[in-house]
Amino acid sequence: MDFEMDEEMISAINKAKEFAEKYFTEELADKMDREEQFPMELLNYSNREGLMDYSNPWKILVTIEELCRKDPGLGISTTVPAFGSEVLMLYGSDMLKEKYLDPVLKGQKIMGLAVTEPGGGSDVASSKTEAKLEGDYYILNGAKMFITNGGIADYFVVLARTSPPPSPDKRHRGMSVFIVESKWEGFKANKIHGKMGVRATNTAELVFENVRVPKENLVGEEGKGFYYIMTFFNISRIYVAAQGLGVAQGILDRLMEHIKKYGPVNSQGEPIENIQFKLAEIATRIEASRGLTYKAASYLFKFNPNPVLTSMAKYYSGETAILASKVAMEIMGLKALNSELERFYRDARILEIWEGTSEIEKLIISRMMLKGGK
Amino acid sequence: MEEEYRILENSVKDFNSKYLDNIVLKIEKEGIPEQVRKAMLEQGFLGMVQLLDGNKVMDKKALSIIIEVLSTSSPSVAMEVFLTNVLFHKLADEQSINEVSQGIKRGTVAFAELMSGYDNENELHMESEKLIGTKKYVLNSDADLIIASATDGNLYIIKSGFKEIETHRKLGFRGLKFGKVEFNTKDYVKIGTKEDLVKAYEEAHPFITALAIGIAEGSLMKAIEYSKVRSAFGNLLKDFQPIAFPISMQYNELSMLKNSLYLALSNESETADILFLKMKSIELAKEITKNSIQVHGGYGYIEDYGVEKFYRDIMSLSVLLYNEEEEKKKLASKLYETEAGYI
Repeated sequence: MDFEMDEEMISAINKAKEFAEKYFTEELADKMDREEQFPMELLNYSNREGLMDYSNPWKILVTIEELCRKDPGLGISTTVPAFGSEVLMLYGSDMLKEKYLDPVLKGQKIMGLAVTEPGGGSDVASSKTEAKLEGDYYILNGAKMFITNGGIADYFVVLARTSPPPSPDKRHRGMSVFIVESKWEGFKANKIHGKMGVRATNTAELVFENVRVPKENLVGEEGKGFYYIMTFFNISRIYVAAQGLGVAQGILDRLMEHIKKYGPVNSQGEPIENIQFKLAEIATRIEASRGLTYKAASYLFKFNPNPVLTSMAKYYSGETAILASKVAMEIMGLKALNSELERFYRDARILEIWEGTSEIEKLIISRMMLKGGK
Repeated sequence: MEEEYRILENSVKDFNSKYLDNIVLKIEKEGIPEQVRKAMLEQGFLGMVQLLDGNKVMDKKALSIIIEVLSTSSPSVAMEVFLTNVLFHKLADEQSINEVSQGIKRGTVAFAELMSGYDNENELHMESEKLIGTKKYVLNSDADLIIASATDGNLYIIKSGFKEIETHRKLGFRGLKFGKVEFNTKDYVKIGTKEDLVKAYEEAHPFITALAIGIAEGSLMKAIEYSKVRSAFGNLLKDFQPIAFPISMQYNELSMLKNSLYLALSNESETADILFLKMKSIELAKEITKNSIQVHGGYGYIEDYGVEKFYRDIMSLSVLLYNEEEEKKKLASKLYETEAGYI
């Protein structure tokens, strides 16, 4: 067992750090947050500098962590343009990969994953979007909610029902995954305004009205969509755990700096112990989150995913980021209220909601453990 | 609760449904509209302090109920009532109290220096009989009258010759202006010392508790209502233990705190008891507002559902009106009857 990072990872961390230092200015972060604008120029810089190396998932993971450490909104926006592409990588035909995956991985196009539905939330199997086969096309009707990249993506990985569930307790059957282009007739994206945080990310409601999807845009086998999406979540949750890690670490960095500079200190000149204890708790939780995330990632990246560890990493790092933001606000007081910490506090709150709420993660952990799963 | 207070509580709830509930988001974005201010004045919400034989008198329990109930709908409006009655009227001169109570002017108090993290490079000071300098983190920074302390240790009410020069970020209470104010004026009246400001803050603890309880209640009620109607996996959310158990525990904890507050106000409880109530209320409100977002899932994260604002507001309240280290030190020192908890 070796906890040391190799040169390639260290180099990826340094590259991400330099990128964030160079482009993630407080002015940009504040402006994108206030105006709810996606920082499109950052994608251009990222492509130009080869920031996202999809050939090595470890590099992606530490890049996400490092960028979110500098700013969650900009960090997530910069690292999410290929969101959903793993479904294509794993299950797409060569034709689909060539047509849709390649331009996304080259940074020429943006992708999104359309699973969640209005009123559906965590209950993926309750999906009501339908795709009916008519000749050479599936006719897609329905709506999706809270879709990351919804208003800016060129392609979407869409989950839709292709046949009724065989019984009420087998609702996850009869669902399929398609690639849908945003330029197709009948597709509409309505940007969601007024998110509390991560306001630099683009989120939209999608509407599909008789969208004609060519038969060959079915990903994998018909009826297996639910399983594909669950497999995808085992991947994406690792990256969300990395977001949480980065956000928590970024908060800790700022908190440490504050305490060193402003204290408050006791008569011996040391920070008062109540604050030292809080600092220790946050730092310990971050290290525990990092251990969980990297361990879960090590299984996944060897093509042997461990959903229990993945869910533990996702929920624990999200919870840690939220706790860190709360504690930092409390300790730094007015200085935090009028600083970027205020934005971190709002941004962090999403981490226990998206890509599976903490409640869902806890159910996965306990159910799989009780079934004797790893 | 006595009948007269029950009636008051219901009338403030009516006020919420008539004037606030439908425009809460508008208040967050554009501030408190004039018609709401007018209605607040008509209800007497901005003039709860009466002058009798030169003494300032107010019904603390009534004011606490008003602040709490307003806070369940619009914490910004509740904060305006708090600032006006609990801090401004407590410290201001008679003329200013009358002007603010009648809606002729709006008043505020710069009190942030009592909180942790206060920093200001050019603190308000006296120079050739002029008050010069700045005050940061002023809530209602567009007010017509500002009560502020200067470096000479005195407290002044400043009537003109100031302006907001910087708008601060607003995590919470977005219906109120929040910024840095610059002063250069001879138009002021000395009304006391900084000690009076400290005393006013210490006497404000029950009302800060009411603000926190209101925020918690507003948020919790949204979660309860949502969990009754929203389904997942074929069941209503309320049917799931991880949803129903925390919500019901929080509801009961909140009710206990609320009753304790009314009891404390009726019995004129000791400062330490009130201080403890304030701490518990703020802590519980943080827990409740966090959980209420979680119950709503993604919808809790967008402003339209009116839940996320409570999460922001309670943290702002905590930063602006709760000096945790100092106040916990006070509790510890009271217990040990000597200085304690300072290392």
